[in-house]
Amino acid sequence: MNYLLPERLDRLAREYALGTLAGPARRRFERVLRASPAASTAVDIWRQRLSVLDLAVVPMQPPESTWRGIERRLFAPPARAAPAGGAWQTLRGLFSGRSLGGALAGAVLCALLLRMQPGIIDLEPRIDALPQSYVGLLLDKTGKPTLVASSRRQGRQITVKLLQPLDIPAGKVAELWALPKDGAAPFPVGVIPAKGSAQVALPDTSEKLFFSVSQLAVSFETAPAKAGDAPSGAFVLIGHCVKVW
Amino acid sequence: MDDNLNELLARVALRDRAAFERLYRASCAHLFSVSFRILRNESQADEVLQEAYVNVWHSAAGYRANAGTPMTWMINIVRNKSIDLLRARKSELASTTELDDDALNVAADAATEPHRLLDDSLVKAKIDACMQALSSAQRQALALAYYRGMVHTDIAGALNAPLGTAKGWVRRGLDQLKSCLEASGVTGP
Repeated sequence: MNYLLPERLDRLAREYALGTLAGPARRRFERVLRASPAASTAVDIWRQRLSVLDLAVVPMQPPESTWRGIERRLFAPPARAAPAGGAWQTLRGLFSGRSLGGALAGAVLCALLLRMQPGIIDLEPRIDALPQSYVGLLLDKTGKPTLVASSRRQGRQITVKLLQPLDIPAGKVAELWALPKDGAAPFPVGVIPAKGSAQVALPDTSEKLFFSVSQLAVSFETAPAKAGDAPSGAFVLIGHCVKVW
Repeated sequence: MDDNLNELLARVALRDRAAFERLYRASCAHLFSVSFRILRNESQADEVLQEAYVNVWHSAAGYRANAGTPMTWMINIVRNKSIDLLRARKSELASTTELDDDALNVAADAATEPHRLLDDSLVKAKIDACMQALSSAQRQALALAYYRGMVHTDIAGALNAPLGTAKGWVRRGLDQLKSCLEASGVTGP
């Protein structure tokens, strides 16, 4: 299709600017936009027209944690920046956009997609490859993806991100556990928040801790677990832990 | 405010972190509102806002004045991300009837009510009289698309109209917006 015929371009530009252009047509037009100054100009014109509809926006103050989150994503020290930044964002974006049958399939899909289409994230700096990492996708009892955990292979912290809030009972904490594949007892990784994201410090590198771990899980505990503790009850979230390299 | 934002954005392009924080403080409440009215979920609007400002930091040098004012440019980054998340969320929830708690809590929030936002904005742009040429349904269709990120099928469902009719309402709304703006000299191609 020739997107650049004036009448067709104007129709697509205004539907794109308004937001009614959806699905594959929206993605196709975004590719046209990146390549065609005429298409960008057409969209800019419509965006400026539509911008008058924002004149009566009632401002809403975001929580202070929003700014801290932005600073963390952009300016965290290099050792922490990778899990919290590029590759992590990429995984998060892809995970949240799809419901996945399993963590392994998801992680492999992400890696493949990124290799084939590194520009998949509009405006984000491109990356060539995922860093060597351990990645877990934990599902709730209904099978809904709820928590993504990622840690660089040689990193000493794990980043967790809640895809939906956890309903932690009053007086309890949500504890993340690692489950070795040989059936040995789970060991505690750390306490995670009910929503948002967090970095949990690890007692050793991911490689040493997770090399033989096949699953991650979360239980509610009355206090943060110590080394040697066992989960007090059933897991509320569980999922596979895979190596991405 | 836009002069100030222009200057701040120019300094952000030079990697001035203090200017970036000032830009954030000056614009975050506006942008959070834009995202929230589309997503109707505070934690998701928060997530989108964080991603959007990361983009602003990385792409400030690519800002062009013909993309509109800095605020228009940032609003479009936020709208795009919000719309993408809304649609991803919709496809995830398609098989369930779950309703988001946050969405339920704010269902009655008049500040995010699309029709009123549209009317108030048109008054501020001084094109409200001109836009009265549209029917109420045509204005509402435009408002649902812009403020809620609805696609034609959503609008048809919300306004209980056939799909073709809803598409026509949106198209007519946009045509009228264009001619009212051109007539008033507010902006033009």
